[in-house]
Order: sequence, then structure tokens, then C-alpha cells
Amino acid sequence: MSFTHVLGVARRSPTFAVGFGAILVFALLAAFADLIAPLPPTQSFPYETLRPPGSGQFLLGSDGNGMDVFSRTIHGARYAFGIALPAGAIMAVIGIPLGLIAGWRGGWVDEVLLRILDVLRAFPTIILALAIVAATGQGFLNVILVVGFLDSPIFARIVRAEVLALRNATFVRAAVAAGNPEWRVLLVHILPNAILGATAQLPLRMAWAVRISATLAFIGIGVQAPAPEWGAMIRQGAEYVISGEWWVALFPGLALIAMVLGLNLAGDGLSDLLDPKRRATGK
Amino acid sequence: MTAVLAIQNLVHRFPGGVQAVNDVSFAIAPGETLGLVGESGSGKSTIGLLATRLLAPTQGRILFEGQDITRLSAATLRPLRARLQVVFQDPWGALNPRMTIGRLLEEPLRLHGGNLAEARLLAERVRLPLATLGRYPHELSGGQLQRVSIARAIANRPKLIVLDEPTSSLDLSVRAGILQLLEELQRETGVAMLFISHDLETVRLVSHRVAVLYLGRIVETGPAAALFETPGHPYTQTLLSAHLPPDPFVALRRHRVQGEIPSPINLPPGCFFAGRCPLALPACNAGPPAMQPLAPGQEAACLRIADRTNRLEPAEDPA
Amino acid sequence: MTLLAVQDLHVEFATRGLDNRLRVAQALNGVSFTVAAGEVVGLVGETGAGKSLTALAAMGLLRPPARIPHGSIRFEGREIIGLSDRELEKIRGRRMAMIVQSPLTSLDPLKRIGDQLVRMQRVHDTAHGAAARTKAEAMLAAVRIPDPARRMRAWPHELSGGMAQRVLIAMALVNDPALIIADEPTTGLDVTVQAQVLDTLRDIVAARNLGALVITHDLGVVAHYCQRVAVMFAGRIVEDGPVREVFSRPSHPYTRALIDSTPGRIAQLGWTVTGGTPPDLYDLPQGCLYRDRCPRAATACLAAPPRIAVSGTHGAACHFAGEAA
Repeated sequence: MSFTHVLGVARRSPTFAVGFGAILVFALLAAFADLIAPLPPTQSFPYETLRPPGSGQFLLGSDGNGMDVFSRTIHGARYAFGIALPAGAIMAVIGIPLGLIAGWRGGWVDEVLLRILDVLRAFPTIILALAIVAATGQGFLNVILVVGFLDSPIFARIVRAEVLALRNATFVRAAVAAGNPEWRVLLVHILPNAILGATAQLPLRMAWAVRISATLAFIGIGVQAPAPEWGAMIRQGAEYVISGEWWVALFPGLALIAMVLGLNLAGDGLSDLLDPKRRATGK
Repeated sequence: MTAVLAIQNLVHRFPGGVQAVNDVSFAIAPGETLGLVGESGSGKSTIGLLATRLLAPTQGRILFEGQDITRLSAATLRPLRARLQVVFQDPWGALNPRMTIGRLLEEPLRLHGGNLAEARLLAERVRLPLATLGRYPHELSGGQLQRVSIARAIANRPKLIVLDEPTSSLDLSVRAGILQLLEELQRETGVAMLFISHDLETVRLVSHRVAVLYLGRIVETGPAAALFETPGHPYTQTLLSAHLPPDPFVALRRHRVQGEIPSPINLPPGCFFAGRCPLALPACNAGPPAMQPLAPGQEAACLRIADRTNRLEPAEDPA
Repeated sequence: MTLLAVQDLHVEFATRGLDNRLRVAQALNGVSFTVAAGEVVGLVGETGAGKSLTALAAMGLLRPPARIPHGSIRFEGREIIGLSDRELEKIRGRRMAMIVQSPLTSLDPLKRIGDQLVRMQRVHDTAHGAAARTKAEAMLAAVRIPDPARRMRAWPHELSGGMAQRVLIAMALVNDPALIIADEPTTGLDVTVQAQVLDTLRDIVAARNLGALVITHDLGVVAHYCQRVAVMFAGRIVEDGPVREVFSRPSHPYTRALIDSTPGRIAQLGWTVTGGTPPDLYDLPQGCLYRDRCPRAATACLAAPPRIAVSGTHGAACHFAGEAA
């Protein structure tokens, strides 16, 4: 998967290009937030609260604490990646082995996985998350763990479905016939092929993670103001919308939408990207 | 000389009641090719999976080089797999799409303690261009892919290769090249082959002996030439007469046996072909007919053979 | 009477690679043949030779990215290329019908067999109501489906592969077409069933004086069910003529190779054929396309070979076709 290949797919698939571009922009914002943001995200100007966009040093206005909305929105990208990447990693670390074993061996692992999924489906995720965070205590780390754990079974099911489809594939049968031990059939033959479809789902699950963490922050659980987290900022700004100070909530809201949309579009394009049949080789 | 593979009274039932294999017995000698022909539902592919123990039979015994492998665990079977190999029909699906041809050829050597450098020799042996070693399966043609599968199968000097429709999805001219390669390999190494196919002409070309399957039962077996020249069982006669030789000057001699193969669920107690057979007797439905000798090495499971009234009258040449 | 006349048909596909460069595959490169009433013409060739594409073009079913830069397809004297979909729909399923390879996916799983046959007639306004039902039942009888009255009420999933293929033939014939195009009509059927279906098809074509184009890779089907044959290679017809002529005196090296690749001939002659890959349709060489695989390629083959008449209506696109093989 070379860079030119990414470019090639981006050219052919505009949705992927837009999504990938959006994530790239957010990644740059997150990486260089200190350089790009004109003001520190939590520096308060007590005499300059709720200034509209374009007034003085506040490009996108200031919030109720007199903090710069623009700088805070940019720093929010750090929180978004801070939740998306580790939560995605947790999903992969737990979900892939679980899905692999459940799909290949079936049996009790499969049963347990399916029952957990049933429970998750029956229970509104947000209430479940709320309950767990309330029980384990607030804090960013807990939010990451909760979001990652909650989504792991779903990711495991994605992997499981891929494995089930591959289990009876001729090349898997041929691998057994060649004398591969079971672990090698799983790791060398099934995993690289199963991971393909699953990886394409990862950005979609990350988008969910960003959304759910913002939602948790919005209802006052998880990351707390004045930390520049988009959900927390929206919650803060929500009370001002009625009184006409719309910018406090709008800009973090737009950033959240753009990031989630970007991840979703990239996820759709990724299945194209990872398809070996389209990999440019040879001539 | 012990048979490389001996199948004894093999029965296989799939969950759901489909009886795919029904009391099948045969043996393959070293250096011999046994052709297994049959139409859909004849159980020929299931027999291939059972013979290589990719599937465990419901009943019966499978002996490989005299050793009973019927109930061996996957781990115990593994070292044996070096000498018991299989090539599947679909060359596009039989190779891991994310491994290069080079790695695919090295794998069997790696698994059984071979020298990885031999991968290049294998490629040369099956006349695969060395330039393909760095490529992925989707970049090769069907014929080249089948050569890769064959190279993998012969990597550890097997005693038996099960070939499940190895040329059925290939074009005619490509097919000939693969068959030629198989013949050469057998001549050089003395490997025995179980050649499973629905293609009568190909089976006749490559096989020393042939077994004809109908609904999971062997209805006739014999030397290839004898079986194709003077088929004894009415089903074998029907099958051969339905074949279309690729030559407009060979007249068709069609037996008008009607109907299609019944479903392999709830099979009758007697001869499975009796329902379609113009020569069926009441006794045919009583129980499974025993094998009757026809000629040296040739026998068929038909009651009519005892008094030689087993010949189907050909209908008029329809052409 | 000539029903279908394909003349110098070219079809190409334009696709974009990962590098965004436009690549053009020349899939058909000057295909010409005719099908007359009362004859069965076989179109043989290997994968990628363009057999099915030719059939689709003749049915007016080509869709972008396929396009026809050049050529003519006349059906009953009328040019098909350039006709609107509405006009084509009046011809397809009415005057010209197609039988495809996978019968079970070609039938509507939610409609009874009889209803599908009736609908076929209603769509083309050939018969309605009781008349259409009577005709439908008669068609099922004509394709030798036992107990047609009962089969009218059958669902597609209740049919075996051979029965489904017969129903499909009945569907194709129900509006009394003049031409039938059958694309691998028996591939995937068992040997014994294949023979029954082909017998049925041949008898109906003869009894109704239809024209039929049978696309197949099976030389046995050609040998016993076709009167004339056209052999395709890399989007060209390399040899055509009466079946017995072509088989007894194959005049293009590719035809000879095909015939010599059959197991029966291998048993007689030994391994004479070395298969090869067909030319890259994205980068076709000049001259004879079979040159790279041909045992008797010569400098003359750098120029495209014309069709040379061997005898009567038998001809081959080879510079050496006139010589005795």
C-alpha cells in the first residue's frame, strides 16, 4: 500500500479523497495545535466573554469564560484523536483475536460473543456507557476504556463474519491439506484475509467512538470543561444558543461533524484501498 | 505390493441426512491413476475430501500406505500430509490471495522441513516462469495458477495426489498442458493419483482404472479401456452414450434413459438407478446389488449381468 | 433467408487505471458472420475470445464502458446499432430471444412458472389471458416437460437444473421468435441432462425453422448440434464454415490446436499442443494475433491475414489457409 496507491484510489474515489483529506487536516491541526492556535485553549480573558466572531483576537469569538473558541476547537482535535486511536486499538486488540477464534472454532467463545452482542443491542449504548463511567469514575482514560470495550464485541463480530466466510474457502482447505498446523492456518492464511474487510470498518468504529465520547461529554460525563473537548464545548455553548451567542456551540459542532463524516467516508474508501486485486503492481 | 490408498466400506452422511457416500471401497496401487467419474450428487468430491482426511467419514476405513488414518487427529495427520496431497478444481480460489507465488511454493517445503531454495526448482519443474515468483495469484492465468497448485502438491515427493476436477475450469488448450504435466510427473516419480472428474474423455485419457459413481455408490469399475469400450452397468452405458465426442463424424448412439438424478435424501433400499433403468427387474429394488464380474478386472453392480441381459438397446441416432 | 448479419463488428472497453490513465481494451476486432433461418451456428472459442460479448452486442445489450466504434449488426434486415432501448425492447424477447447459462438465476423466484410465461406474452402483446395460458402450457410440452399442466403452477426452486433450462427455452420461444441466441446453454448441467436439453433445442429449431446462434467452449456441442461454426480468437473470427468441413480440414492453426487439445486426439497423436496466453487486449500487436503461439508463424504474419476461402463457404483468416494442412 504505497503512497502513490493511496493517491490513485483517492483520485478514483472522491468520497475517499474527501474523507481522507478531512482526517489529514484534523491530524495536522492536532499535531501542530500549539503553533496554529493563536491563544492557549484554556486561557481565560474574564473581561472579554462571549465576544462574537471576528472581534479582536477572537477569530471565531469567545465563550462564556472568555476563552478563544477558535483555539479551543483546534485543540479539540487532540481529544478526538486521543479517543479515536486508543479506542480503535482496544477494539482491534480485543476484537480481532476474539472474532478469529469465534469464527474458526465456534463453540463457547462464539456463544459468549453472540450473547454479549445481544445484550449490547438490547441496551441503549449511551445508557450503558453512562452507567459504566458513573461506576468507574470520570476521567479521560476511563472514557477511552469504556468506549473501546463497548465496541470490541461489534468489531469482533465483523472479524467473525469474515472468518466464517473464509473458513470454507478452498485456499484455507488447501492450507490444511498442505500440512499447516492450526495456528498457522489461522494466522498466516485466515487473518491477513479477514483483516481486510475488518480494517475497512475500523474508521467507522472510530467515528462512533468520537461521537459517543462527545455525547458523554455533552451530558456531563467524561471529559469536563474547561478541557477543550468538542462535546464539552457544545454542552457549554448550548445554554448560550437561546440568548443568541450561537458561535460557542456551532464551531466545535461543525468540527465534530466534519471529523465523524471524514472517518466514515475514509472507511468506505478504505475497502477499495485494501483490495489486493486493485493494487497496482507489475506493469 | 500394498496399495498406496485403500478405501474400505466408506460411508459419509452430511448433517441434514444427505448420504453423499454409500459403502464405497477401492484401492490405488503405486504409480496408478484411478479415475473417479460421476455426475453431480455422485459424491466424488466428498470421497476426495475423505481420502485426504480433510473430512472424517461416518463409517468405514481409510488406509494410507497401510496405515489406518480414519480417525487420526489433525496433528497426527500433519506429517503424513507431505506424502498425501490434493489439487482442487478452482485454481483462482485455491491459493491464498495475499501470498506471493514464491511464498506459496516455499510453504510446503517449510512445513515439512524441506530446503526453501527448492521452490525455484519446483517452479521450473511445472514450467512456471520464474518472473511469476514475485507476483500475487490474481496476476496469473488459470493455467499458471493450477501449475502452482501442482508444484505445491509435489513439493515433498508425495505418494498420492488427489486431483479434484483439476482441469475443469480451464480452457481446452491450457487443459492439455496440465494433463501432460501430470502424466510426466507420474512417469518420473511413480506417484499414484486419484483423478476425480465428470469429464469422461479426460478420465479416459489419464486413468489406468476407472470407477463410476452414481449417488455415492460405485456402480462399475474396471480398466479404463475396457470400461469405455464395453460398459456393463446400464448407468455407465447411459453416461457414455450421452457424451458428445468432439468429432462430427462419430455417430451418437443415444440410450433414451429419461429423468434426472434423484436427490440423495431418502435413497431407496435397492439399486439407486432402478427408477430410471429400462432394464430394471423387481429384484433390483430388494437390496443393493452385489458386484458381478464382467471381464478381467471389470465388474459392475447390476443383477442383469449374471445372465448377460445388461445391454441397453441404443435409440436411433438422433443426428 | 439471413436473419442475423454481423459485419466487421468492433467493440472496445475504456477503463481508467489507478494512475487515472485511460486504457482501451479492444475486445472485438472485426467480427463478421451470419445466421440464416433453419440453421444452428456455433460460436466457439476460449475464455476472453469475445463469444459472449458478440452475443450481447447482437442482442443490443452492450452498456458503457463498452462501445461499438465500428461495425454493423443487421437483424431481419434492420440495423440494430443505434436503436433506442424502447425499440430494442420490441425486438428482444419477441423476434430474438436469448437463453443464458444460469437458468435458476434467470427465473423470477417469486412467480410461478406459468405466470412468468404468460407475462412474457403480455409484455410483448402477443397473447393475453386464456390464450396466453394455453400457449404457455403448449410451450412447456414442446420443451418436453412432463405433466405441463401441473408444472405451470410450479415455483422456480422446485425445478431441477435441467428442468429450469427447459423452462428458460420455453420462455425464449413463447413469442415465436425468429432467432435464438444461446450462451453456453448446457454448461453446468450434467452430461445426461445436457444431451436431453440439446436434443430438445435442436428439434424445436428444426421444427419451427428458427435460426440459432449457440455460444459454447465445448467442441462436442458444436460437432453434433451445429451446422456451421465460427471459431473465435482474441476478438476475431479466425475460421468459419460448415462443421464437418472445419473439423475434417481445419485451416487455421488455432482451430487445429483446439481440435488437437481434445483428449481423444491427444490419445491418438500425443501431446502436440502447447497452450499459451491470449494476446493483451489492451495492447494488441499488429498483424496476426495468433502469431506468438503459432507453430508456422512467418514474416508474412506481421501483416493482418485476410479471410482466405478454403472451399465453398469454408474460410480461415490465415496467410497459409490455402495450403494443404
